Amino acid sequence: MKKILTLLAGLLIVALASAQNDEWFKTAAAPYAGATIRGVSESSPPSVYVRDVLAKQFTELTGINVDFEATSWDQMYDKAIKDMEANTGIYDFVYIEQDIIYSYLARDFLVNINESLAANEAIKAPNVDFADFTTFADYFKNADGDLFGIPMEAFTKMYLYRKDLFGDAAIQEAFKAKYGYDLAPATTHAQHRDIAEFFTQYGKDNNLELWGTTVQGSTGHPASTYEYLESIAPSFGLYNWGINTENYKATTANGGALDSDLAKEALSFWVDLLQFAPPESTSSTWDEVASTFAAGRAAQGWVYFENGAWISTDADRSVVVGNVGVALPPTAEGVIAAAEAGEGYIGYYDGGAFGLPHSSKNKEAALLFLQYIAQKEVQPGWALAAPRITHTATFDDPAVLENDAKVDGYYTLLKEQGKLFGGAPAFPFHSAVRETIDPFIHRALAGELTPAEALDQAAVAVDAKLVELGYAK
Amino acid sequence: MKRQRTGWLLLAPTLIILFITGFLPFLYVIWVGFFGWNPTSATGQMHWAGVNNYRQLVFDQEFLLSLGRTLVFMITTVAIELTLGFALAGLLLKDFPGKTFFRTIHALPLMVAPIVVGAVWRLLVIPGFGPVPFYLRKWFGIDYNIGTYAGQAFWTTVLMDVWHWTPFVTLTILAGLSAMPKEPFESARVDGANRFQQFRFITVPLLMPMLLTTMFLRIMDALRIVDEVFMLTGGGPGSATRYVGIHIWRKVFPETEYGYGSAMSLLLLYFTIFLCWLLFTSITQSGKKARA
Repeated sequence: MKKILTLLAGLLIVALASAQNDEWFKTAAAPYAGATIRGVSESSPPSVYVRDVLAKQFTELTGINVDFEATSWDQMYDKAIKDMEANTGIYDFVYIEQDIIYSYLARDFLVNINESLAANEAIKAPNVDFADFTTFADYFKNADGDLFGIPMEAFTKMYLYRKDLFGDAAIQEAFKAKYGYDLAPATTHAQHRDIAEFFTQYGKDNNLELWGTTVQGSTGHPASTYEYLESIAPSFGLYNWGINTENYKATTANGGALDSDLAKEALSFWVDLLQFAPPESTSSTWDEVASTFAAGRAAQGWVYFENGAWISTDADRSVVVGNVGVALPPTAEGVIAAAEAGEGYIGYYDGGAFGLPHSSKNKEAALLFLQYIAQKEVQPGWALAAPRITHTATFDDPAVLENDAKVDGYYTLLKEQGKLFGGAPAFPFHSAVRETIDPFIHRALAGELTPAEALDQAAVAVDAKLVELGYAK
Repeated sequence: MKRQRTGWLLLAPTLIILFITGFLPFLYVIWVGFFGWNPTSATGQMHWAGVNNYRQLVFDQEFLLSLGRTLVFMITTVAIELTLGFALAGLLLKDFPGKTFFRTIHALPLMVAPIVVGAVWRLLVIPGFGPVPFYLRKWFGIDYNIGTYAGQAFWTTVLMDVWHWTPFVTLTILAGLSAMPKEPFESARVDGANRFQQFRFITVPLLMPMLLTTMFLRIMDALRIVDEVFMLTGGGPGSATRYVGIHIWRKVFPETEYGYGSAMSLLLLYFTIFLCWLLFTSITQSGKKARA
């Protein structure tokens, strides 16, 4: 009885607080009612939730219309950058992926949110405290700790595996007979390869559309370069894209590591996995990898967890619901210890924020919207719809805790081990250098170059590019 | 005088729009082409480069390779489209059951936006999921994978372009064939000319202006192809379908090489004009020689 009363009291407090917050937003937004703010984002599950749920709630509450465009990754960048560069003011908020923030800041595209709110107390929501964000928000701060983007999604690229296959007694027996150790989620690269080989053969023997691993190996899209540089290479202990952050050089001769033996070992391992990956792998970006896993075509693989929730729970889109296991990705010896010591990272901590461009013509209305989606109260529903957590309180929300079991403890894993993952390096030249590396990775995946040749040539090209851009010392 | 002024007044809105959206950006591209400008560079500033961007282009292997690849693509697609278009136009001149239905269906690809064409073809041929690779493997044992095999990717882009643009060629040639006078053919028949001679000495010369226009339009389109191929292969595998339009797009947008990208665009424009002039001159000269 006491518990029920406590729960009811808790619910009452939340409802009262929520009503109070709504009232504040309604009052603060009154001068801007009828205005339309426009935003652009990648069509990812968290963005779709903003478009379909949060934007509508905000409009209903404040009378400010939100025209939210959720489009492809390439289109999103194309539109946002052109708008901010030309200063046209089409968009009032734009998606900023963690890896592009440094370029945006270098080009002074974004408004300092802390400063803007301090300068206009009338639109500063009393219930929003930026200190409540997880440490992922640090990626969107300048040296003074001021925020330039409201974190809207954050997730890690995890190792996903098929629990039904890994738990099958006959399969376990066959695996042990062949490899001499128990079948379990891979913790080393050698195990990953063994498992990939085993399940590819198992698929052939049993006439199944099943392969051993996913590979995000598109030979015509940057997604493959990202998988190599931000997931595979760090798991071998190669960080910052192999670029020396002291002198901005990539060749080993100049202190870089992009053409090092370690980098070549990592690329060889990954390219070699293609033989155990479904045929779509050389056309796969992050979206297709998720579809491949959801279609039950791969036994294991690195998958961006923004897709993990629907793969694990949405039976309309996934045939592996209830059979998805989540674990840390395999790593080379010493990599986890280095990450724990803060000297490296084991994989990619991905995510993004909504930022306010200087070119916006509705800054106040946009700031109100950004604060609306930053509220603690809207986070749990958002996290359930898409597995993103950017607010510390979300981890302990009862609904999120309940959902944790359905996604094989992903939220707990993120809370406890999220620190082992890292975002992209703080390179203002991110796209330019990634674009320089792309063709070599694509050619290695297509078999036109060996991994060693690809990285030797890529490192030289990156050195030349960084000299041309004026960063190399 | 008054009529002339009214005419200019009526034309003014169009001319102003064309000046703002066409001519001014063109001048801007010429201007930017003389600068080194990458906003993500350490300074982020434009700096005067003179003709350095153009000098660099002449030795830029990636650019030259993409240009060469585009030429091969252009020659292949335009040749196939003209041949096929001519044959289909000839067919459509005759009566056969379902002709109207066929003509409508045949023209449908023309109404589809290039980016959608790319998306539809991607769904058709994507390895692992698409019906084309599935049935090719099932029925013929062919391993068809445009993400892995450069040759297959190239020919798929050719096929896609042919599917998209052959109807345009067919319809223009059909219009030309339908409007042809009957008298020269009747005279030729009286003089004993066979069907090939009629085709060679009457049909082709009479159609030549239309054929040239169609060919030049297709050449220009093929040289600047981006959307469909970008959607289908992204320029891969490796650089197999990285045609010059995609190459320029990658340089200008993701790599933010605005100065160099502008120079590339201008060189491509110059190259296109030169190629069309060269073809036009050689075709009209050879026509004159034949008549002489």
